[in-house]
Amino acid sequence: MNLPGSGLVRGAAFGLTALLALCGAAPPQAPRYPQASLTDLGSAKLVGESDAGATISGVQVFLAAGLDREPAAGNGVAGLVAECVLRTPVTAATGERLPLRDAIQARGGSVTYTVDGRSTHYYLEGRPGNVASLVALFGRALAAPDFSPPTVRAARAALTARIDELESSPLSSAIEMFKRSYYATGVGRPALGTAASVANVSSRDMTDFFQHAYRRAGLSASAVGGLSPELGRAIKALASVLPEGPVEPVVERAKPIPANAPRVVAHRDIGAPWVVVGFAAPSPASRDFGAMLVLESMLSEAFERSSATTLGLVEKSVGAFYLYDSTPASLIVYVNGTEVDPTLALRELLVVSRSLAQRPLTAATLSRFKTTAEGQFLTDSVSLSDRSYLLGAFASWGLGADAMNAALDALEQTTPADVQRVAKQYLQRYIVTLVLPRQVSPGD
Amino acid sequence: MRAVLRAGLALVGFAALALPAAAAAGSLPNLGPEVTVGRLAAGGTYVVRPLSGPPVAAIELWYRAPSTGFGSTPTPGLARLAAQVVAASKPIVGASLGKTVADLGGRLAITVYGDSLSISATVPAAQARDVLKAMTTAYFAPVATDEGYRYALRDVAQEAFIASFDPETVARDALFAELFSGGPQHYPTLGPANDVSAISLADVRSFATRAFRSQNAVLVVSGAVDPSIGSAAVAGRAQSDDRAEAPANPVLAPSHAPVTKTFSEPAVGYGWVGPPIGDERAATAMDFIADYLFRPDAGYVSRQIDDAFPEALISGQFITLRDPGVMYVVYSGKQIDGLKRIVDEGIAKVQQPMSAAAFASALEGFKYHLLSDLQTASQMADNFGWYSIEGNPEYAPGANGEKGPYFKAADSLTPEFVASVAVKYLGKAPAVASLAPGKDKAVQQ
Repeated sequence: MNLPGSGLVRGAAFGLTALLALCGAAPPQAPRYPQASLTDLGSAKLVGESDAGATISGVQVFLAAGLDREPAAGNGVAGLVAECVLRTPVTAATGERLPLRDAIQARGGSVTYTVDGRSTHYYLEGRPGNVASLVALFGRALAAPDFSPPTVRAARAALTARIDELESSPLSSAIEMFKRSYYATGVGRPALGTAASVANVSSRDMTDFFQHAYRRAGLSASAVGGLSPELGRAIKALASVLPEGPVEPVVERAKPIPANAPRVVAHRDIGAPWVVVGFAAPSPASRDFGAMLVLESMLSEAFERSSATTLGLVEKSVGAFYLYDSTPASLIVYVNGTEVDPTLALRELLVVSRSLAQRPLTAATLSRFKTTAEGQFLTDSVSLSDRSYLLGAFASWGLGADAMNAALDALEQTTPADVQRVAKQYLQRYIVTLVLPRQVSPGD
Repeated sequence: MRAVLRAGLALVGFAALALPAAAAAGSLPNLGPEVTVGRLAAGGTYVVRPLSGPPVAAIELWYRAPSTGFGSTPTPGLARLAAQVVAASKPIVGASLGKTVADLGGRLAITVYGDSLSISATVPAAQARDVLKAMTTAYFAPVATDEGYRYALRDVAQEAFIASFDPETVARDALFAELFSGGPQHYPTLGPANDVSAISLADVRSFATRAFRSQNAVLVVSGAVDPSIGSAAVAGRAQSDDRAEAPANPVLAPSHAPVTKTFSEPAVGYGWVGPPIGDERAATAMDFIADYLFRPDAGYVSRQIDDAFPEALISGQFITLRDPGVMYVVYSGKQIDGLKRIVDEGIAKVQQPMSAAAFASALEGFKYHLLSDLQTASQMADNFGWYSIEGNPEYAPGANGEKGPYFKAADSLTPEFVASVAVKYLGKAPAVASLAPGKDKAVQQ
C-alpha cells in the first residue's frame, strides 16, 4: 500500500521516542470521585454517588440482555426490544396512555438506551424529586412491553436509521470489523445489528428474547447526581415486575490473535483509508489495568500533530481507545488516512509497541503519562449519563462501589516494570483492519 | 462515539449572553449564594461556581471581540485564528497552553461567535489552579510565535474545511448574512479555509493585543474547585484604559431575499430576529418555543421528523443576544418537501395558545432541560460566560438556581403569552437559505 501522507507521523513518532527517555515533574495528588454507596435491594443492587446540591439525577438500569444473549440468527433483537420498550404505552400522570418516552418527557425527564456485550442499559434522568416516579413508569413498560406490529414497525425504522448512521462512519466500520474478527461470542457483533439482520427479527423473536433475558436476577442499577431515598424503593419495585428465574451465565471469550497479524479489508465510499489495529487488553479487574491506561495514553499521543485545541476523533491523525467495558477487553489504535500516511503510521506504531516491551519507561516519562491518563479517565466521564454507566458497569463486574477511585489508585501504583510487562503481554499480537476507498486495494 | 464538529455558533442549550467586563467599573452582579463574583487585579471580572461531583474543573475565558477583527475591513476567521495562535504559542517560560492542558489529559476548546469568543479547558480539579494561571498568563499578555501561527493556521484551516461540510453551519451562516447587513454578525465566524490561510501573523498579533486583555475578560470557573480560585489568575498588563470592548452594533437588513447556495445535499434554513436579552420574559418564551419544537429527541417537530424521516437532520434554536436575539431552524434530508411541511406546521402551531395540560407538560419538560443542560462543570461555566458577555449575567439560568430571574421568567409564562410572542416574532416571513446541489446564486423574491 503506498498512500499519500503528510509526513508528520515519522517526526511525531520520533518525538515520542525522545520523550521515552526524558520527562518531567511528579504529578500532584490524584483527585477522587465522591464516595459511592452500595445498597442491597434483594435481587438487585443499587450503587450510587451522591452530589450535594445537584438538581438532576441520572439512573442507569442494567439488564442482562446484551449481545451475548442474542440468538445466533437474531443480531439486532436486543436493540429492537429496547426500541419497543420506549414506545410501549403506559398510563401517564394525567391518565393518558402515552408511549413510555413521551410519558417520561411529560413528567420532566428523559429515557435512552444502549446495547453492549453484556447488557441493555436504560438511562433515566430527571429531577431528584421525581426520578423515582420515572423509574415507576419504566416498570410499567417492562411489565407489558408492546411488540405489536405498528410498534415493531416504528422501532425497526428508528433502529435502521441509527445503524445506517453508524455504518456511514469508516472508523465505526473498522472497529466493528476488528470486533467481529477478535471476539468469539456475541460481543463481536454490531451493537444494534445490521439493516439486514434487523429486517429478519420477528415479533416472536422479540418476545422470546424479552422473556429469556429480562429477568429479575439480571437487573442492577446505578445512580449519580441528586439522589433521593425513594430511588432505592423504586428500583426494588422495578425488579419485582420482572419474572424470577435464573439468568444463565454466558461465556465471554475472544479468539486467540495469531502471530502473523491477520488483515481484514473492506471498501467504502470514502476519500481516504482508515486503519484500525486491535490488541487484546486486560479487564478493569486485572492488576494490569492501570498500566494499560498508561499505554492507551501514550499511544493516543504517539503521533499527534500538536494541535493546541483538543481534536475530535475524525480530526485526529492517530488515536487510541481502550475498550475496557467490553469482555474481554481490547485496545484500539486507529490511523486516519486523511491526515497521515497509514503505512508509515502503522510501521511506527509497531516500532513503538516493540520498544515499550523491550525496555522500561523512565520514572519521569511514566509520571508524565500517568498524569495524562488520569486526566483522560476523569474528563471522559463527566456527564451523569457517562458517570452512572461507568459506576454501574464497574460494580456489575464485581469491582465494588468504589471502583472508579480504585481505577485511579491502580494508575497511581503503576510502575515502569508494569508498563513493560503489559506491553510485552498485549501489544505484540494484533489484528489490522483496513477500510479503503473503493478504488484502492491493499498493497497498492 | 460521536464525531464532534466545533461549530462556530454551537451553543449551550439555550443561547446566551454577558457580564460586561466593563462591570469592572460598576457594581458586581448578584448571581446567588453559590457563586463568587469578583474583579480581576488589572480589570475584568471573574465568576466561580463550585459544583460537587466528579473531580474535574472547567476554566473559561470569555472576551467581547468581533469575529471579523477590529479593522474596517472584515476578516472572517481572524478571532478564531488569533485565539488558536495564542493557545499554540510557547511563551518564554513554560509550555504553551495547549500542551499544558493536553499533558494533563484535559480538553481545550475555542469557540467563536459573532461578537465574542471563549477559550475553555476541562481538567482534573487538582490542576485547576495551575491551568487557570497558565490560561490567564497566555491570554492576558498574549504571545504569538511563528511556530504557533504555523500550527494554528493548519488547524483552523482544517476546521473551516470540515465546517464547510456541515449543513447546519453553512445554512446558519447564510441566514445571518441575510438577517444582518453589517457588523460581525453578517459574516461567518470562520471564513473559507483559503481566506483563513491569508490572515497574516501581524494581523493576528494586532487583534490579540487588543482583544486578549484582562480588562476585556470574563473568567469563569466551575466544578470541584474552591470559591477562592479566582485569586490564582495572573494580573496581566496594566492599562490606562480599563474598559472592555464595546459591543458591535449589528445592522439589521431592511429586507431579505431567499438565497440558494451549492451544497452536497438539500437543506433549508429559516431565520427570524427575536427579542433582546433585556426583554427577559419574551426571550424566555422564545427559548421555551425552541425547546418545545426542536429539542433533539423530544421536540414536537424533532420527534415527528425522527419518526417520518429518521435519516434527516433538524436543528432549531433561539440565540439569546444583546439585541436582537435570533431564532433559526435548519432541516436537511432527501425528503425536503416533507420536512418543510412538518417544520411549517410546527411554527404555525406555536402561534396558537396550547391547552393548559399540554402547556404544563411542556413547561415541566423545558425546566428539566434547562437543569439537565447545567449538569457538568463546562456547561455551567458556558452558561455564566455567555450571559455575562451578552450583558445580563443575573439572567443566566444558573444564577440563583430555580429562584433566579430566568426560572421566574419561565414560571411566568402562559399559553397566551407564548403564543403572542410567537406571533410577534415568528409570524413574519423568515429569512430563507436553501442549500442544493449544483446551484449558487441569490434568488430574488
